[in-house]
Amino acid sequence: MTTMTAQSDLLTTAQAAGIQSAPAQPIIQLTDIEKVYQTSTVETLALNRVNLTINQGEFVSIMGPSGCGKSTLLSIMGLLDEPTHGTVTLSGRAVTSYSDRELADLRNQRLGFVFQSYHLINDLSVLDNVELPLLYRKGISGKERRQRALAALDKVGLNARTSHFPSQLSGGQRQRVAIARALVGQPDIILADEPTGNLDSVMGEEIMDLLLTLNRRDNTTIVMVTHDEQQALKTERIIRFFDGSQVN
Amino acid sequence: MFRHLFRLIWNRKRTNVLLLSEIFFSFVVLFGVATIFIGFGRNYVLPRGFAHEQVWRLNINAGQGEKMPRAQLDDVLRQVRALPGVQELTLTSGNTPFRFITMNGEFEAGKNKIDNVDRYDADDRYAATMGLQLVEGRWFQPSDDASTRRPAIISRNMREKLFGDAPRVVGQIIRESAGPGTENKTEFQVVGVTENVRPHGDFDGEAPSMWMRLQPHDTTRWEGAAVMVRVAPGQGAELQQKIVHTIAGVTRKWSTQVYALEADRLDKLKITVAPLAALAVVGLFLIVNVALGLFGVLWYNINQRRAEIGLRRALGASGPGISAQFLGEMLVLTSLGVTLGLLLAAQFPLLDAFDVAPRVYMFGMLAATGLIFLLTALCAWQPSRLAARIQPAVALREE
Repeated sequence: MTTMTAQSDLLTTAQAAGIQSAPAQPIIQLTDIEKVYQTSTVETLALNRVNLTINQGEFVSIMGPSGCGKSTLLSIMGLLDEPTHGTVTLSGRAVTSYSDRELADLRNQRLGFVFQSYHLINDLSVLDNVELPLLYRKGISGKERRQRALAALDKVGLNARTSHFPSQLSGGQRQRVAIARALVGQPDIILADEPTGNLDSVMGEEIMDLLLTLNRRDNTTIVMVTHDEQQALKTERIIRFFDGSQVN
Repeated sequence: MFRHLFRLIWNRKRTNVLLLSEIFFSFVVLFGVATIFIGFGRNYVLPRGFAHEQVWRLNINAGQGEKMPRAQLDDVLRQVRALPGVQELTLTSGNTPFRFITMNGEFEAGKNKIDNVDRYDADDRYAATMGLQLVEGRWFQPSDDASTRRPAIISRNMREKLFGDAPRVVGQIIRESAGPGTENKTEFQVVGVTENVRPHGDFDGEAPSMWMRLQPHDTTRWEGAAVMVRVAPGQGAELQQKIVHTIAGVTRKWSTQVYALEADRLDKLKITVAPLAALAVVGLFLIVNVALGLFGVLWYNINQRRAEIGLRRALGASGPGISAQFLGEMLVLTSLGVTLGLLLAAQFPLLDAFDVAPRVYMFGMLAATGLIFLLTALCAWQPSRLAARIQPAVALREE
């Protein structure tokens, strides 16, 4: 922990001195992304020719009014949805032609998700919820799953609540569980869709601090959709959307 | 993954208890229906133990208030036997195969008892006429007239029940229980053992049977006689008419009806098949109901769990993985329901209930287990496929 802080301070000092750091490695690249939702009568253009690069270790927030395509963009980045047109590249590899199984493996190993409504399984304990991503990963024993889940819960300060059920937790605690679940598989990227949207300001701050810590301490790339300008200002870059297009 | 499924099912026990009950009760009913059908099927393929195909039953009636003098009866039998096409003939009592009349009694030998034994009166030609197969000893013969006890022939299953593994039972004494509160018991001497017989119908099992030698020295009290006639293949209505005319030629006071045992068998079959068909329809109806119920519950379950499906997809589950999870949950639930059902079903052979062979119960359990797993797998298959097709992005956004 001390070492991490020292590194962070060193970097800030280096930046202040005008020393060029190593060029940032793109981890997610969206090229000409278009998403059209089509019904029998209506065609809705949710994303219009989006070109975007997220670098390794970046903490980026995506802002915009409701219905502007933020969540769709996050779903496409998270390989949960396919673009109608364009290419998604993850660490230099285009994932367009990947099979369902390969996409599932990529989501499992490289991505962590945090949702506004937590999406915890109410019938599973906190520990079981956090273990969930590891269930879909081959070669991990039950004991190791448990240890890693406990470590992830420790990181979010919830190691005393392992046997509780989601209904027994506050909103902030639930979101911490969701973050622990996103962390347990040690992904490179965390995609957070309005993670503080259901929380009051104090709890929202706590969650934001937790995400910032994860980004700075573990160099985890975080892409966060938010409506909260104050929280967006704490991130390294803000990408604004309007009517399916990037506006800055 | 199975541990995870068990935990999930356990934590959802309130939701799953209805589904579990449905599987349990369906298993019990399917076990009952399967046992009945397997029992009937097993009986159907068993040897009948006698050859009825060319045998006719003659009902000879002396008429209202009339009796049958032995000399006249012997004359009738002699003349019928002499008819071309008649191969063999025997005098018996009203208890003939495939009819709704049965005569039975309770017998004992030493400490062993057996009840519901079909008892038949038979003369010395009965075995040849009916094609019974002797496995031990002999059939009745004229020298039995000198016997101090009434000679009897028993079926193999009756022998096993009364004498167990005894190497030889010819000469043994069997007593017939005269009824409650009566000490007097009629004694019979075993002179032979036949192969098991199934005289009640195609779907009925082997009935313990005993043939007692008919000694009609004086038939003057008889008002009717039952005669079985074995005829040559291809004989029909013409010979039946000849028989009726022959008997009428001896005495016009007597009337005769001729029935083929095959016709008796078919009459019995019709009456047996009707409830069986009804049972099959009820069974089928039940299976369809269970299937619809399971299908509905699973469909509802999947719709309730769309967000969970979306989440699991986001966390790394593939479409087939989701499908397998739902099938797996159903498999675990079915296994639990079937285990409970098997615990109950196992009591039937253990308690020797309903006089059904333990093997039939075992096959009933196997069939019900197979059917219920097949049924739940089929019902879970389509909803599981639907679950696999749910778009994670859509499902996650719905909540």
